[in-house]
Amino acid sequence: MRTSILTIAAALAVTFGIGAASADTLADAKSKGTLTIGVKNDYPPYGFLNDKGEIVGFEVELGKYVAKELLGPEGKVELVPVVAANRIEFLNSGRIDIIFATLGVTADRAKVIDFSEYYVSAPGPSVIASKAATFSKWEELKGLTLCGIQGSYYNKHLTEDLGIQLTAFKTQPEAYRALKDNRCVGFVFDDMTLRKKTEEAEWADYKIAVDPYEYIPQAAGIRKGDDAFREAVNKAITKAEAEGKLVEWETTYGMPHSAYIAERAKAAAAKLKP
Amino acid sequence: MFGLDYSWLSDPVYQGWLLRGTLNTIALALTSSAIAVLIGGFGALALTLRIAWLDALIELFVELFRNTPPLLQMLFFYFTLSTIGLRVTDPATGLSVPLLSAFDCALVSLSLFGGALCIEAFRSGLDSLPRAVTEAARSLGYSRWARFRRIEVPIASRICLPALTNILTNLFKTTSQASVITVPELVYYAGQIYNDTFRTAEVMILVLLIYVTLVSLLSWGLSRIERALAFPGYGKGN
Repeated sequence: MRTSILTIAAALAVTFGIGAASADTLADAKSKGTLTIGVKNDYPPYGFLNDKGEIVGFEVELGKYVAKELLGPEGKVELVPVVAANRIEFLNSGRIDIIFATLGVTADRAKVIDFSEYYVSAPGPSVIASKAATFSKWEELKGLTLCGIQGSYYNKHLTEDLGIQLTAFKTQPEAYRALKDNRCVGFVFDDMTLRKKTEEAEWADYKIAVDPYEYIPQAAGIRKGDDAFREAVNKAITKAEAEGKLVEWETTYGMPHSAYIAERAKAAAAKLKP
Repeated sequence: MFGLDYSWLSDPVYQGWLLRGTLNTIALALTSSAIAVLIGGFGALALTLRIAWLDALIELFVELFRNTPPLLQMLFFYFTLSTIGLRVTDPATGLSVPLLSAFDCALVSLSLFGGALCIEAFRSGLDSLPRAVTEAARSLGYSRWARFRRIEVPIASRICLPALTNILTNLFKTTSQASVITVPELVYYAGQIYNDTFRTAEVMILVLLIYVTLVSLLSWGLSRIERALAFPGYGKGN
């Protein structure tokens, strides 16, 4: 089965003759004077809209910092809102130069894009549910219906390995609405976002019922083989860490101070010491 | 080199998803088509009775469901009906849950949308009957009902079959919008697969092929029906 499909794939590849364009994003961005960054705009604290409608957040700060490092103080930044479902497509089709949008490092993604230095260790998904909910472990969710988001990387694990019935929506507001409607017993999503949600007045009757089962490093996404660009981005990220910028942004955006970011800041400072 | 890579297709999980998605798409399309045709038939029949208040009611129904996007209708049924009280108590959990599932909401919306289009198509079929035919039937002593059943419907149905084919093939494709309200049909699973594998082009090409195949089968079936029903002067092959 596998071999026949690979043969077909190979035949198709020959037929279509699709080749990868060699990428030199660093040179392109310098000549344009602009770095186009894919960011989230609905994902506090990493990338979201403030009261004035501007996109701000931890990763937006980092993206802007990197752009200034690469292009100098005159460098411009173009922020392009992306969602989980389209960010890699946007990068590989050239609509954006780099992803700073809660991108978890996974082996599957590494096949199609390159990653920068890891700058955050992000908890995986947790489950928000009514305070009356009696489940507290992932194993107890077998057969239950949970709301989720279409395209999340952990969906397959939830349905195939844990036996969860997943009702996946396109966007978060729909999922929250469905949870309140009791269309599902819980909503499985990014842990930090859900924890922030439980602090809101209208979600007072809800709790984090199940804690994350994993922690994944988060990094910037870069086109495959775009090595000069990746080097430059990594240098900029390390510089930001060494200057304590990331710890600063944690404070700015009300994030709990993570040991991971503190460690990396220390290591970066030590590395950059002459 | 980026060739087209279909190695993900060997994963039984993805095969299962594609199969389930395809089956759900077919189920949604065929069920809503059947209901839409029924709505169209009864609606067109009711219009021939020439009852003023009934005509106005049907007119209102058609305007409402033909002139609003099916996607909005689905969202309305999914999120609004439960808010205004269409809820039941789930015996298993004791929670108050919405009465209509996602699939039900999509089915209702597509059936009503298709039904509104069908009423119009059937009505235009009946309206386009030559007056001479109905007058001839009347002079032969047919009653109103017999005239409708034996003369008008047989001819009108052949006149509006091409329009019906159009409506039903469009309805089939409109089922893809049900993914927005979490109906796990073809597009819903396709999205999940290309998010897992990042083989967007490959998944899209495959899903397009599946749609082309299914919709071609549907229109082929309908054209066979058209040919089988044809008689001199009306339908195919005259």
